Amino acid sequence: MTNHEPMIQLDRLTRRFGSFLAVDRVSFGVGKGEIVGLLGPNGAGKTTTMRMLTTYLTPTSGRARLAGFDVLDDPLEVRRSVGYLPENVPLYGEMRVREFLRFRARLKDVPRLKLRRSIGEVVARCRLEEVENRIIGQLSRGFRQRVGLAEAMVHDPPILILDEPTAGLDPLQILEVRDLIRELGDRHTILLSTHILPEVEAVCGRVIIIARGRIALDERQEDLRRDTAIVVEARGPAEAIRAALQTVPGVERVTLAGQDGDHAGFQVHTRGERDLREAVGLKLSANGWPLRRLDLRRSSLEERFVQAVTQDTLADAHREAG
Amino acid sequence: MRHVSTLVIRELAAYFLGPMAYLVLLAFQVIAFLNFWELVDTLRQPQREYSSLRDPMLNYISGSPGFWIAVLVAVPVLTMRLLAEERRSGTIETLLTLPVTEAEVVLAKWLAGVVMFWALLVPFALYLPFLYYQAKFYFDVGPVLALTVGLTTMGMMFMAIGLFFSSMTRNQIIAAVWTFVTLFFMIVMVPLVHLFGARQRAGWAEGVRFSSVLYQIQSLGLGQFDLRFLALHLSVCVLVLTLTVKVLEARTNP
Repeated sequence: MTNHEPMIQLDRLTRRFGSFLAVDRVSFGVGKGEIVGLLGPNGAGKTTTMRMLTTYLTPTSGRARLAGFDVLDDPLEVRRSVGYLPENVPLYGEMRVREFLRFRARLKDVPRLKLRRSIGEVVARCRLEEVENRIIGQLSRGFRQRVGLAEAMVHDPPILILDEPTAGLDPLQILEVRDLIRELGDRHTILLSTHILPEVEAVCGRVIIIARGRIALDERQEDLRRDTAIVVEARGPAEAIRAALQTVPGVERVTLAGQDGDHAGFQVHTRGERDLREAVGLKLSANGWPLRRLDLRRSSLEERFVQAVTQDTLADAHREAG
Repeated sequence: MRHVSTLVIRELAAYFLGPMAYLVLLAFQVIAFLNFWELVDTLRQPQREYSSLRDPMLNYISGSPGFWIAVLVAVPVLTMRLLAEERRSGTIETLLTLPVTEAEVVLAKWLAGVVMFWALLVPFALYLPFLYYQAKFYFDVGPVLALTVGLTTMGMMFMAIGLFFSSMTRNQIIAAVWTFVTLFFMIVMVPLVHLFGARQRAGWAEGVRFSSVLYQIQSLGLGQFDLRFLALHLSVCVLVLTLTVKVLEARTNP
């Protein structure tokens, strides 16, 4: 593996189930130490993507490399490099926590001499000390989730793949698991899926939105936050106003949002943190175009999510109609 | 293959963490006890001639209806859980994303089943030393050994068949029913078909007889150590285990 190769690299990964296209040419890369959130409505293809990355399912076409190993050529090496927590956290209910972790560590080739230490470490990290000798089937949902996490990382893999790690937890437990994931980010590259938006905002450095098997958005959290727009409505010739606004220093692009009689609405996207509302207002009054609205709008993840998902659906509807 | 022992130990532990293994063992113990009682009873009657076909030892295991009925029930009960339960609970997903091959998983589950099958034969073996040393009935050791080998290979074949059906479904009951039907065909139907053919003096009757598990085990119990029987058992076993590995590799989601 070269130094610059990302930990997770997908190249036009595709999976069909019969005639149903579950994942459609998905490509992205995840660098070392990143925490990436895979976001999407139910049935968007998140779980299928993760199952392909963990070698549980084979891709119909396309490639994926994890820690430098191809999922088709070196599945065992990929499995060694990945800790996987599937949806609903399947565990052996009849085993005791410590016994289960020991069993899994043996299967994951943790050397005998390091067994005790590795298990002790994950038990401490996932705060399982008080239940380590209890039967898994009798544990609460929150503890089971943590046992699943401990199991996923017992062999200290460079990559963790977590499918809806907070599903079914109460709010307090959700906070705990999120804290834990954030802590894990210092040692592992993490790809997690969820359909809970605040979770992504709280934990992930980067968001990838998947809708209908395709990537609808792939952006860093800070870029998402930085992406502010000024909403302007003024009376006058739309094209001329747009051209004038474009000349204001600091403006990146201006899009026409809609026209309503003589009034035209614009979205002015700006670069940097500076608030350009005053400059925009001055520009308009200097040209003698009466101003009706001047607003600052920070696009939230939720807006982008809805936008990305519905746009995609609209595009599909058009395609199907055409 | 270094993971097999770890997997086998867990599988055996899982058997004994539920009630099934104890119930089946108890049933076999009861049958062994009844058959031994009958054997001793037969031997107590003085001055009876035994032809080679009426060997009293034959009724102890290989010719005992109780034993065969118990096998017919025990094999599905012991194998139904092996892979169907992993599918039902979803643990198959974590199991098959461990750095463990499908072949290792199948081999380990099958071996655990074979060990359990062996455990079922132990009650029968327990009484034999008493018969030999205490009652001074010096039966032939050869046929008993041949029978042991034959029952082992037969158990390997049956366990492979049970495991195969368990890999096909997420419902243990369905797996058990399929296994039962298959074994019922092998143990009960094949001899009936042979009987029918023999009455018609058909040429194929002999072939059917050879493939009957009942006939094979009884021949071995009489000391006819025919390697063809063992080869047949082991070939079926390898074929079915290979199919099971393929089913797991196909990742079908029944």
